[in-house]
Amino acid sequence: MHVRRLGELEAEIMDRLWAWQRPATVREIVDDINRGRRVAYTTVMTVADILHRKGWLRREKSGRAWLYEPVRSREEYTAGLMRDALGDSQDRPAALLRFVEVISDEDMAALDAALRAARGDQDEQTFGAGRGRGPHVPDPDAPAGGPA
Amino acid sequence: MNHHLLIPLGLVLVTGVLVPWLLARARWPQQVPRLALGVWAACGAGFAAGAALLPAQLVLTGAASHRLSDMMFTFRPPTLDQLLHLDGRERFAFSLSLLVLSVPTAAFVRRLARARRMRTRHAGVLRLVGRYDATLRATVLDDERPAVYCLPGRSRRVVVSSGAVDTLTPAQLGAALAHERAHISGRHHLLVAAAEAFAAVFPHLPLARHGGSAVPLLLEMTADDRALRRCTRDALATALYALASGRAPRSAFGAGGPSAALRMRRILTPHSAGHPVLYGLLTIAAGGLSMAPLVIACCSFPQ
Repeated sequence: MHVRRLGELEAEIMDRLWAWQRPATVREIVDDINRGRRVAYTTVMTVADILHRKGWLRREKSGRAWLYEPVRSREEYTAGLMRDALGDSQDRPAALLRFVEVISDEDMAALDAALRAARGDQDEQTFGAGRGRGPHVPDPDAPAGGPA
Repeated sequence: MNHHLLIPLGLVLVTGVLVPWLLARARWPQQVPRLALGVWAACGAGFAAGAALLPAQLVLTGAASHRLSDMMFTFRPPTLDQLLHLDGRERFAFSLSLLVLSVPTAAFVRRLARARRMRTRHAGVLRLVGRYDATLRATVLDDERPAVYCLPGRSRRVVVSSGAVDTLTPAQLGAALAHERAHISGRHHLLVAAAEAFAAVFPHLPLARHGGSAVPLLLEMTADDRALRRCTRDALATALYALASGRAPRSAFGAGGPSAALRMRRILTPHSAGHPVLYGLLTIAAGGLSMAPLVIACCSFPQ
């Protein structure tokens, strides 16, 4: 339970620093969190220090207090996760299971055709009764369009 | 060296070459993916057992190897007491078997550990960058590119990008999420890791080569089937299409990943002709029957 609390607090601190887009002291962060719920100054200080050691925050001394600032933007971290998610990095074990893998042009065309065919059948007939029917192909004998 | 070698040799050939060859050419696996996965897994286990027994039978004397064959036929594994009282040659044979087994096992464990490290790292970043959506029961990641994926195992969670939430209708999103939850609850990452480990250790073996590409696709189909219990075929197919088209297509990819087009066709045309389960059982029977002459040959040898 305690560990989960600290994890939530990590996210809360990062959220604020990313939103403010400027270096901030622990006092500022504590005051902002305290608008919603009570949290001790020392707890936030500890967690900010953990984030600093994990490489999420950098800090510099300003008077007697530390000024904390995110090392990278939220977008940069998100981009890293999306690289994993979209499978851009090859040659790694299957750590994530994706809904759709990287897809080829030919596959995309086949996908398009399959969906189109199913939709065509559905528009004509009730769903489920379309067995044995091929894809909806336009009549080849029909005029190609334009003024007749 | 003696005629008892025939059994493990046959087992290796049937599970490593014959049945995979049949599976790769058959159409029934896509209709009953779970049965097909069972056959692939059995082939993997059978091959490992055969490959482990082969060197043991090579070094054992006639009488000892006869006892080992008897144990195989009666499915009676040696007791701990028996294992503790092996003579020198038997002990050598036993350690040879363990050595052979340890190669794919080590590859499997290494792969699992690497994947888990990557997932832990990914989940650590996700925890701070993503936000949990209680109605979706998934973590949302702010990115306009549509993506849906899951982290299986210890740090299990389903992740969707905000692009996917915007692109898909609630029904389609529900279909994609159900598919990912099926992956998690089915522990599909273990089978994927096993298939990858086999493919890495035995790159030229038909079992590993065909299985390496078939197993991930069959797992996707299993997850599709599971999702279809809770959503319509149209929702799942459209979600598949929308998520596939929302990303840059790559022609250089080849036949590596699970084919989305195959899945799509399968989702949209559910009732196919034939009796897939029957064909599946026939394949298993074919594998079993081809072992029969070897077993008979082995048993009818004069002692």
